Amino acid sequence: MAMDTRAVKAVSPLTEFWRTFRRNKIAVAALCVVLAIIIVAVFAPFIVPQDPFDLKSLVLRDSRRPPGHVGATGIVHLLGTDSQGRDLLSAIVYGLRISLQMGLVAGGIAFTIGAVVGSFAAYVGGRVESIIMRIVDVQLSFPAILLAFVVAAILGQGKSQLILALVFAQYAYFVRTAHGAAAAERQKDYVQAALSVPMSGWFVITRHILPNSLPPLIVVATVQIASAISLEATLSFLGVGLPPTEPSLGMLIANGFQYLMSGRYWIAIYPGVALIVLIMAINLVGDQIRDQLNPRLRK
Amino acid sequence: MTPLLDVRNLRTYFETDKGVVKSVDDISFELGRGEVMGLVGESGSGKSITGFSLIGLLDENGHIQEGSSVRFNGRELVGLSERELRAIRGKDISMVFQDPMMTLNPVVKIVDQIGMAIRAHEKVSDAEIRKRAIEALDRVRIVDPQDKVDQYPHEFSGGMRQRVAIAIALLHRPQLVIADEPTTALDVSVQAEILTMVKALVAEMGTSLIWVSHDLATVSSIADTIAVMRRGKILEAGPAREVLHHPRHPYTQGLLDALPSRSKPGELLASAATEAAGAMELTGLGSGAIDAAPDETFVKAENIEKVFAPRIGAFHRLGIRWGVMREPSPVRAVKSASLTIARGEILGLVGESGSGKSTLGRILCGIYSPDAGTVSIGGKPVRSDKGKLGTHVQMIFQDPFASLDPRRTIFQSVSDGPIAHGFCTRAGAREYVNRWLRAVAFDPALADRYPHQFSGGQRQRIAIARALALQPEVIVCDEPVASLDVSIQAQVINLLMELRRTLNITLLFISHDLSVVHHLCDRVVVMRHGEIVEEGTATQVFHAPRHPYTQMLLDAVPKLEA
Repeated sequence: MAMDTRAVKAVSPLTEFWRTFRRNKIAVAALCVVLAIIIVAVFAPFIVPQDPFDLKSLVLRDSRRPPGHVGATGIVHLLGTDSQGRDLLSAIVYGLRISLQMGLVAGGIAFTIGAVVGSFAAYVGGRVESIIMRIVDVQLSFPAILLAFVVAAILGQGKSQLILALVFAQYAYFVRTAHGAAAAERQKDYVQAALSVPMSGWFVITRHILPNSLPPLIVVATVQIASAISLEATLSFLGVGLPPTEPSLGMLIANGFQYLMSGRYWIAIYPGVALIVLIMAINLVGDQIRDQLNPRLRK
Repeated sequence: MTPLLDVRNLRTYFETDKGVVKSVDDISFELGRGEVMGLVGESGSGKSITGFSLIGLLDENGHIQEGSSVRFNGRELVGLSERELRAIRGKDISMVFQDPMMTLNPVVKIVDQIGMAIRAHEKVSDAEIRKRAIEALDRVRIVDPQDKVDQYPHEFSGGMRQRVAIAIALLHRPQLVIADEPTTALDVSVQAEILTMVKALVAEMGTSLIWVSHDLATVSSIADTIAVMRRGKILEAGPAREVLHHPRHPYTQGLLDALPSRSKPGELLASAATEAAGAMELTGLGSGAIDAAPDETFVKAENIEKVFAPRIGAFHRLGIRWGVMREPSPVRAVKSASLTIARGEILGLVGESGSGKSTLGRILCGIYSPDAGTVSIGGKPVRSDKGKLGTHVQMIFQDPFASLDPRRTIFQSVSDGPIAHGFCTRAGAREYVNRWLRAVAFDPALADRYPHQFSGGQRQRIAIARALALQPEVIVCDEPVASLDVSIQAQVINLLMELRRTLNITLLFISHDLSVVHHLCDRVVVMRHGEIVEEGTATQVFHAPRHPYTQMLLDAVPKLEA
């Protein structure tokens, strides 16, 4: 509606995005929670009262104590201790650190693979596209947990093995989404315009198709990072995930599980609560991003 | 006698993120029984919102302000509840929308759609509905109404769908019909048929009609009175002849002057937008075409064939063999078309939707490869098996909102090609791009913004600058003004004529709008169903057409009533 000569104030798409985001108070709160958890996880060694990996600092007498117990070394165990006398709060913070790390790294790798493979398939089309997408379809017909479980079981325990398992279980979602978005962009006039210059296929994919396919991919990424974290927790709970030297939230829950019936609820519940808060916060942020990027819901 | 509709001080404001938008800002008008009013304006003038306001069809954030009054048969409509309004909509006042694909439910048979509209206000039996549906289709001159009522909307052409929408609007013999750009999405020949039909129906039923349109020519052929809107206000209203022949407001005068059909072919059009945009700086621009030797067959396309055959997958093939699936029929978009363009000439390629003109344009530009035939420019092929060769032919697309990448700045969009093809270095790109932006009278200071911050006319000029920056010898323009307002359209046409004159660029101008083609082009090629049916100089084709199809097209073009 602006007149031809009227200058419009330059606003980058990102600023505009944040302005709208700011209006949903729940999403902002969730974003703060996610950021807080990330900060706590990054600076874990400086925050927690006890290093849960330092076996010397553990006192067996302090094991399985309820929240608020003051330990032999003078530490107040705010959330109680587990079966080895570890401070649960410290263990949870370290657990979050590992869970986040796994989620972000696995999600990031799956995102990259998915975005590149998906938009490449959409760009070239034809037989190559069919083959790639059918492989993806077959993989998507299996439950992610089953795929991750099988790969983790074959590769054995360890951080990089688990990341591989998570990536394998999740990359297909990204390929599917990237392919759908890229196929739609491929038809658009600006891609035709670039091809009519002519620009190279590589340029068209990386500068035109990929950036414009990002919105749906970002939405999928938030959901998939949350689900990678819960997948990792599930695998660790089942004992095929991380080794005991890398206690993630899943393993903490598994350790406390056996005491659940004997009244020592805190050992399993608090890591569980931490896991739920983390996943829910990520999902809430993801929902808001999805709503904002969906042109149908835009005013 | 009281008028049928009496609108007083109507104001409709929208609350948006960027503040209050006064879409309709204090307008008043009257409409008598059986009267046809044309509501004319450019995009954003508030003409459609006026129509929607009358029957309370506004988005959530839109509100009719205090003090507005809409009296229909003496009854105040502003402030009625949703239920009361619903009793009026479709019965006493009904609407016809621009896109019939949007108003008809794709999964419901025509007879049931009409049935729903009847049952909204009456209780009737199924047999009665069928009878009335057939009558309704017959009234809007749909052939074979007995069979057609059992079909789905997708089996109808665009024109037939709009007829159905009109039939539904007329079901309850309303006293007022509001038609919002009802023929804009249709081909000229279909538009002409619908205009005559609506005119006859309205006269026969004594219905009043508000015809909302951006197109002065169509409005002039149907309306008794015309109101011209701009920025939410009515600038001028009066009997149609008066407004068209003795416009009192300079804006109306400007709109009329911007129409290509009103000035001599080849002359620059009067356009306030052209003046507002500032001067074009065309000196010192590079182009391979300046001072090139004349060449009668500079662009040469021979026996071009293009078939779009849907790919058949393995399962589909099995389905066909078992007889459960139909074999998709390939579409022959272009059938052995040949044409030549002389250097520096503007060739118009005319045809209705589905004629294959865009496909042929894209083949000439090297975007599509033809299935048979060759395209050469200056004796060199445009495309090899691997892809397009060289940058000497460029393209301008119809929709400037779609042809610029929304995530790249204007500078990036314009500089991508020249950097990749060595017309400038990365370091020198800024200066190079600015030169071409100035050539299309676009302020280079705005080059770091994103496309969504500009209007349609500005974007189309950016798209032209992008094409020019590759110093092409030929530019294929695919309906470059079809989605623009008249004044902006005039500006773009002027720009193209200037460019041809100074840079000696050869243009292929694809359009469905015959008046624009007549104004701009030296020679014209007419396409129909993928075939070239007529070719000749503009004067010959427009004044002495040889093919009946061309004659029909020319007759269908709405003209300003004398």
